[in-house]
Amino acid sequence: MKFRQSRITHVPLARWLIIEFTGLFIISLLWSLHSVLAGYSAFIGGLIFIVPNAWFVNRVYRDQGARNAHLMVGNLFRAETTKIALTAIFFAAVFTLMEPVYVPALLFTFAVMVLAGGALRWLIRPQPRR
Amino acid sequence: MEMVFIAAAIIIGMGALATGIGFGILGGKLLEATARQPEMANQLQVKTFIMAGLLDAVPMIGVGIAMYLIFVVAG
Repeated sequence: MKFRQSRITHVPLARWLIIEFTGLFIISLLWSLHSVLAGYSAFIGGLIFIVPNAWFVNRVYRDQGARNAHLMVGNLFRAETTKIALTAIFFAAVFTLMEPVYVPALLFTFAVMVLAGGALRWLIRPQPRR
Repeated sequence: MEMVFIAAAIIIGMGALATGIGFGILGGKLLEATARQPEMANQLQVKTFIMAGLLDAVPMIGVGIAMYLIFVVAG
């Protein structure tokens, strides 16, 4: 009897994080030409995206395989809920605890990172491997 | 001032509704397709993951704008 060897998907989380942080540093440097406040506001805006998204990736790929399909879907829903909740909490914390914040830089960098993150996951996909 | 809170509530509520519908359809299709072709499960998970990233982009930005309205504009 021949058994099919199971495939495990390799998630390139480290590569994604390196590319995202590199992009974030570049955007922050560009904003810091405007002012230092704008620079660190932009950096925090990027971090608000990166940290919940890393959690999302970690949770989604906790279970794999056809036998765990129900767990995959459950993880997807839980990870998305946690991601949105974490994002809202981080935004609330930044707007209440950090008094001098340059809001256009914060929101612009966050929006750019969200869109770039989707494109990055499209370009560098997780690869199923033996 | 109350209008700002109503606007933030509408942004978050509509975003949550749209994301919920989208993820419901996405998860349902993932289960359906995995049941049809179990050997494709991991590839389907990758595609679902990519679509999930695209699906929640706009609601995430909406959450950021809503938090700005609540804590900066109204606060």
